[in-house]
Amino acid sequence: MKKPMMKRALYVSGAIAFMGLSSAVVAVDGESVIKEKCLLCHTQTGNPEAPYSRISQQRKTPEGWQMTINRMQRLNGLVISSDEERAVIKYLSDTQGLAPSESAPHRYVLEQKPNVVENVDPAYAEMCARCHSNARFGLQRRTEDEWKLHVNTHMAINPTTELHALARDRSWYDIAYNDVTPKLAADYAFNDPAWKKWQQMPKPTLAGSWSVAGFIAGKGNYSATLNITNVSKDNFSLTMTGHYADGSPLKGSGQAKVFSGYEWRASLTLDGVKMRQVMAASEDGSTLTGRMYQAAHDEIGGELNAMNGKAIVALSPSAIKQGGQQEITIIGSGLKGDISLGKGVQLVKVLSRDADRIVVLAKASSSASVGLRNVAVGATKATAQLAVYDSIAAVQVTPNESIARIGGNGGNLAKVQSTYRALAFSAGSDGKPGTEDDMRLGYMQAQWSLLPFDEVAEHDNDLKYAGSIDSDGIFTPGDAGLNPERKFSTNNVGNLKVIAKVADGDNKVEGEAHLLVTVPTFIKRAIQ
Amino acid sequence: MKHLKSFNKKAKMLDRTTSPNEVEEVVAMQSVVGCTSTNDPGWEVDPFGGLGSLCQPMESDLYGCADACWWPAQVPDTISQYPDWSQDVSKANEDWRKLDGIFPEEQK
Repeated sequence: MKKPMMKRALYVSGAIAFMGLSSAVVAVDGESVIKEKCLLCHTQTGNPEAPYSRISQQRKTPEGWQMTINRMQRLNGLVISSDEERAVIKYLSDTQGLAPSESAPHRYVLEQKPNVVENVDPAYAEMCARCHSNARFGLQRRTEDEWKLHVNTHMAINPTTELHALARDRSWYDIAYNDVTPKLAADYAFNDPAWKKWQQMPKPTLAGSWSVAGFIAGKGNYSATLNITNVSKDNFSLTMTGHYADGSPLKGSGQAKVFSGYEWRASLTLDGVKMRQVMAASEDGSTLTGRMYQAAHDEIGGELNAMNGKAIVALSPSAIKQGGQQEITIIGSGLKGDISLGKGVQLVKVLSRDADRIVVLAKASSSASVGLRNVAVGATKATAQLAVYDSIAAVQVTPNESIARIGGNGGNLAKVQSTYRALAFSAGSDGKPGTEDDMRLGYMQAQWSLLPFDEVAEHDNDLKYAGSIDSDGIFTPGDAGLNPERKFSTNNVGNLKVIAKVADGDNKVEGEAHLLVTVPTFIKRAIQ
Repeated sequence: MKHLKSFNKKAKMLDRTTSPNEVEEVVAMQSVVGCTSTNDPGWEVDPFGGLGSLCQPMESDLYGCADACWWPAQVPDTISQYPDWSQDVSKANEDWRKLDGIFPEEQK
């Protein structure tokens, strides 16, 4: 009998972490590998502009090319080494990738950001997006003929697609082949001039020192200096040095690779935990933005913003109440000189000072006007602003719609947690929350709790079985498997409300989000 | 419809919706990325945005999903891509711990 691990190895053979560096990368030439391996099935067209059948009619992200190669291994007998796979992904991402403007709408899926709800065109919602994310096809560019072949590939691999809901009651194949493919070819056009333009542009230089502000669930806000060193073309080593919100040191190092001139993929160890970074460099090379997350639990992570050179990147917290006194951490790098917190906000005391962060005790006068203040340290001005507010009018829990997945309990699938933050707003001059003049106060500390979402959830006692939330807003779902305590041995699924209570003086302002604790997914792709 | 009586939970939920249009609306709802919105009855979420109409426990009907390629982006299909996925586990509701996931290497 095969062991599960052996099966997994079979299924994912070659599904390597392509951001990993290898000394052999330089020696393997992607184009040669394509000719040697891919042309065993694909043909040469004779057209130097599009030399290979099917391959040359598509453009994708690095993850998209990785998935294609893995499917060729899984279904079509491709045998390819890890070094060869990396070389092909790099070659195709650089020569047939996406421009920054093309990947921008769907970066969340590359960043493995959890709990995103997409706004999908109905034509796609009923066709492609009922199984996949919009990002899955929105991050591909194909000719119309190639999109048509893609429909046929689906019919060959998943023949019951026509029998699913939203398919069996209509001419699914005719609609997919004749109506949707021209739309895909127009919306996600292979010949979009954005890619040609990007190919001709000078690419950002990433080596250097960057000011970093970010967030990791459970750790909170952090500040760091990211030092990037060029190892070879598009290959880098990196170090991160800084502090977490509580002042404890942050230290990490790793390697990174850049695809398509701007797609940063790093693999690093941060304070003993293996992490990934997925970021995009801005076209002018002044910022790197994206997400850093745990390699083993991609739902645990958060945004990462880096600015080239000396800058103030963030304030934590980014709001102070009229008449209030509190600690504020100024996050950046090269922070030297006098500190200015803006009109009506007094610097009471500097509590600690490093190059990447200054912790101050600030006091807002009770007569300080409500509004945003510019913060500066010496000649360095902040991109972030400090809000002075009268009261918190509303709290939004982010994400507002979310899922967690049961797991563990001796099975092979890990629990998928969900993490929450409380985003506060003041009402603005009209005194009403939820209107356009609301002032965003930023994320605030909250007390977290759970409630049943509806009567059914209350009746089924979901609160008891589905999981629990900790003081950092991290929800851990229940164990996988059948639960004989529940009716029909139902799994530990549940329909819950996540409640955040944020203190505003003596008051507590509440916000809530929806959480479905649901079953595992047995399949996880680089792009879901 | 007035001569028909709702029998199971799902039918009662449908009854509670006020109009056919409302049924269409809930069916077309978006779900969180990674979840299927093919809601017959749904893998992670049902047509009503909850869990009440899903097959539970999921292990009891898991192979009804896998063998029929019903949610091929969430459950390994044994028609084409993963014919051997469940070959050593004849009863999923007893031996679910032996079933493996198909994750990219770096996710492990």
